Amino acid sequence: MVDYAGARRRSTRVRRLEEGAEAFARRFDWVLFGSVVALVAYGLHLVAGITRDDVAGSPDYYVIRQAVYAAVGGAAMLGASLIDPDLYRRYWRQIYAVSLLLLLLVIPLGTEARGSQRWIGLGSVTFQPSELGKLLVVLGVAGFLAERARRVGEVRTALGTIGLVAVPALLVFVQPDIGTSLVYGAALLAMLFIAGARWLHLGVILSIVALTGALVVWILPSAGVDVLEPYQRDRLTAFVDRSHDPQGASYNVQQSILAIGAGGVRGRGVDNATQTNLDYLPEHATDFAFASLAEQRGFIGAAILLLLYLLVVWRGLRVVTYASDPYSAIAAGGIVFALMFQVFVNVGMTMGIAPVTGIPLPFVSVGGSSLVTNLLAVGVLQAIHARGRQR
Amino acid sequence: MASGGNGRGSGRFLPPDPRVVEPYRLTPKLALRLAVLGAITLGVFVVLFLRLWALQVLSGDQYLRAAQNNQLRTIRVEAPRGVIRDRKGRILVGNTAGIAVKLWPADLPEKGRYQMLKRLGKVLEVPAPRIAREVDKRAHDPLNPVVVKENVTRAELFYLSERRDEFPGMRLVKSSVRAYPYGTMAAHVLGHVGEVTEDQLKKRSYAELVPGDKVGQAGVEAAFDRYLRGTPGLDRLRVDSLGQPRSDITPLKLSTPGNDVELTIDADLQFAAEHALQHGIQIARNSECYGCWNANGGAIVAMDARNGEVLALASSPTFDPRVFVGKPNPWRLRPLLNSNAAKRRNYPGLDRAIAGVYPAGSTFKPVTALAALEDYRVSPYEALPCTPSYTYVGDNGVPYLFKNWNPYVNTAITMPIALAWSCDTYFYELGVRFYKLRSSPLQQWAKTFGFGAPTGLELGPEAPGLIPTPEWRRNYFKDPIEKLWKPGDSIELTIGQGEMTVTPLQLARFYAVIANGGRLVTPHVFKDVTNQSGVSIVPRPTQPTPKKIDVSASALQVVREGLFRATHDPDGTSTAIFSSFPVEIAGKTGTAEKWSSEYNRYFDQAWWCGYGPNDAPEIVVCALIENGGHGGTSAAPAAREVLANYFHVKANEVGVASSSETD
Repeated sequence: MVDYAGARRRSTRVRRLEEGAEAFARRFDWVLFGSVVALVAYGLHLVAGITRDDVAGSPDYYVIRQAVYAAVGGAAMLGASLIDPDLYRRYWRQIYAVSLLLLLLVIPLGTEARGSQRWIGLGSVTFQPSELGKLLVVLGVAGFLAERARRVGEVRTALGTIGLVAVPALLVFVQPDIGTSLVYGAALLAMLFIAGARWLHLGVILSIVALTGALVVWILPSAGVDVLEPYQRDRLTAFVDRSHDPQGASYNVQQSILAIGAGGVRGRGVDNATQTNLDYLPEHATDFAFASLAEQRGFIGAAILLLLYLLVVWRGLRVVTYASDPYSAIAAGGIVFALMFQVFVNVGMTMGIAPVTGIPLPFVSVGGSSLVTNLLAVGVLQAIHARGRQR
Repeated sequence: MASGGNGRGSGRFLPPDPRVVEPYRLTPKLALRLAVLGAITLGVFVVLFLRLWALQVLSGDQYLRAAQNNQLRTIRVEAPRGVIRDRKGRILVGNTAGIAVKLWPADLPEKGRYQMLKRLGKVLEVPAPRIAREVDKRAHDPLNPVVVKENVTRAELFYLSERRDEFPGMRLVKSSVRAYPYGTMAAHVLGHVGEVTEDQLKKRSYAELVPGDKVGQAGVEAAFDRYLRGTPGLDRLRVDSLGQPRSDITPLKLSTPGNDVELTIDADLQFAAEHALQHGIQIARNSECYGCWNANGGAIVAMDARNGEVLALASSPTFDPRVFVGKPNPWRLRPLLNSNAAKRRNYPGLDRAIAGVYPAGSTFKPVTALAALEDYRVSPYEALPCTPSYTYVGDNGVPYLFKNWNPYVNTAITMPIALAWSCDTYFYELGVRFYKLRSSPLQQWAKTFGFGAPTGLELGPEAPGLIPTPEWRRNYFKDPIEKLWKPGDSIELTIGQGEMTVTPLQLARFYAVIANGGRLVTPHVFKDVTNQSGVSIVPRPTQPTPKKIDVSASALQVVREGLFRATHDPDGTSTAIFSSFPVEIAGKTGTAEKWSSEYNRYFDQAWWCGYGPNDAPEIVVCALIENGGHGGTSAAPAAREVLANYFHVKANEVGVASSSETD
């Protein structure tokens, strides 16, 4: 009996586990998973070609590092997909506080690179809090909005949400990293939108954003107050006037457009991509990775990448429709829209249709923080999907 | 989710229970918002795809070409300039091969650029801000190199070639720079080479040049730049974005050296003229005349009287043309470019032979003589009084007194004697006769003889000088009294004083008219241009033809007699200098009073103009010593040295000349 009972107990556990795994597998978004895995794998393949000549003597330097990050990120993604998103909702204050703490830590501990203080050194690797901060802020603020889901139409809620996002966004802005702080703003708008904020409020927010932009770029400098660093202003001027200072601000974009255009339909191949290999294209492993891959792989290669992004974003929006509670819906919406925004700004920047800001290309650009965070975010999407409503 | 059915079920019959939490579901409102997000996403991707399509598929070929050119650097291979020779083939300006340091602004590092320029500047002893300024100027043309220094020393060359990697964007390029075997000789004539200026680049004749190319900027170098300048070659090089070469240099086009220009200048005579000029200045300084301590400049023109070939053109003070070689040091150019610095050194950059203007003084008297004879104001052997002073009584009865330079004379003389003695009152009388006419025959003749206008020498800029006319006075002056042409104006003009000014070259040209029997030559220094094989490439004849002047041979003969007497009669003004000269020389002294605003008084400018041999003149020489006192004191001895060189007269054959106080 003992044996029987023990066997029965064991078998129950096994059955439960099996049932749990089966249920999880059934509720897992395999298309999202597959497209993200494809994106990461394709990204590694592209990085291998892009960074081949970057470190003399070891052509695989960046690919190996990036593969390690991808493995870490993959594990993080699977781990996050197992965690119930309700946990985030309950502890949203703590999550938000951690994001602020991380961003504040950059100020005393951060290392400066390329004129900006964004990274914290952890032994041999560096960590970019603003990247992880994107996810943490979305998870935190979504909690705030979800608590007030019924009062989302009130002005107080909208203002509170804006305030909550504005603090980390400002911390990122002063690093300075305009691009990432813009991503925070995009996530904020998407969350308010999904939470059901009034059209009027959204309209007012958008107009204020436009006005602030105008203020920072044109009005304040003409009044003698310079909010932007000179290089940032130059980049914006260069975006408006392409012929402005070909060696300076608009150099990157010109070289980038040249690289993409030279790629043609089939690409110039890894060996003949002179823009990348001879270093005409700056930051080709990170911010301008898209230009580099477009040069090497051509329209076909770049289009495959864009379609993969479209697939991921589409599956992400689909996750929102399955969200079982307001928190999940808001968080998923923020994550997906932030991802889409990053793709647009980065790819648009390399093609000269968006201003130059230091946003990495999700899943592709060399950099651990970005890759791990994005995979983690997809894991959260999976968790939301898995615990979504019955279909 | 189990409660979902209950909520819905209860809602059908009862009002909603506030305690029951409505389950979250896809409301139409949320669906609409998601649809909006989906539409935005689709729109964004459509935009990205279209832009990608436009770049890669529609204009891919064009960008591919641009990307291929991105890494190619075309290097202009400077062509050596042609050599400048004198009339006997001696090299006046040659070339030496050197190494130039050039910077390609496109290849300079973005970061630490100024630090690199600073290090480079320190090595080459060129101020870094100046390099940075020139690099900045090329911001819109970053593929065209900036020359930092030409002709680097061996030590600099070794240092830089060993540390090429530390100076991205820098390349050491073969260059050829000007060399001057005769040192400072003929610096004004030869001119210099310099980087083409922005204004020049806009001209059509410099269309094929790019910034940094060198062109003649003055003198012969500028006048015959089209011959001397070669055609640069082109080399091609593949570089990476740091400017480091990735391939060997492939020549695309070979450079063609410039053609050689042969001048009419005679190096020996030029040397003698410059030496004579210094000699003349020294004589003036040693003499006791008032203001002669200030003798510090002058000019000598030696010209073939028959055809206008300029044999020597000296101007003092001069400068070392080597200050312009390579990349000039602005400090050393200051005396030539900065007006204050130039004034302190008495304007060394001014070519006094062609651009210095002075009153002609008595050297102008032959013009008066010819004009009076041709206009029938006087007959050649009509005796006019030569007195210590001349009084002109105007219409209002007021007498004006004009002094003769020689107060110890009182006799009537004919024109040749008047020229020989340089008697002022004789010419005053002619001036009064001219004044009474409505036309201005003296000015007309002066114009015919080439005064008041540039002579047409290839070098420049020339000063036109000035021959005042009643009309000129009317237009030039504002004051109603000054506007009037007065008898004194006519009288002073006859002896080359008043407002009139001439250049030494104009005067030499006029004396050539006397010497060659009435032909106005165009002074020129161009003789021939030959290619690298020594074959002339210009179709002959290239020499400007002299212009026949309608002046009677008899009048010329009278003036020639006067000029010969001036150098040979016992009372001739430069007899002391030329009477014992083995070749018969004829010529006229001049002492021109020129106002010095610095000292607030008149200083005497010493002139001597003449030609030889008297019966068949070959050479005409004009010498001017600034503040040199009397013409016979300093200018005539200087001119004699030039003539001695031309006629190969040794110093001991020349009679020892004591300076004579003559005009």
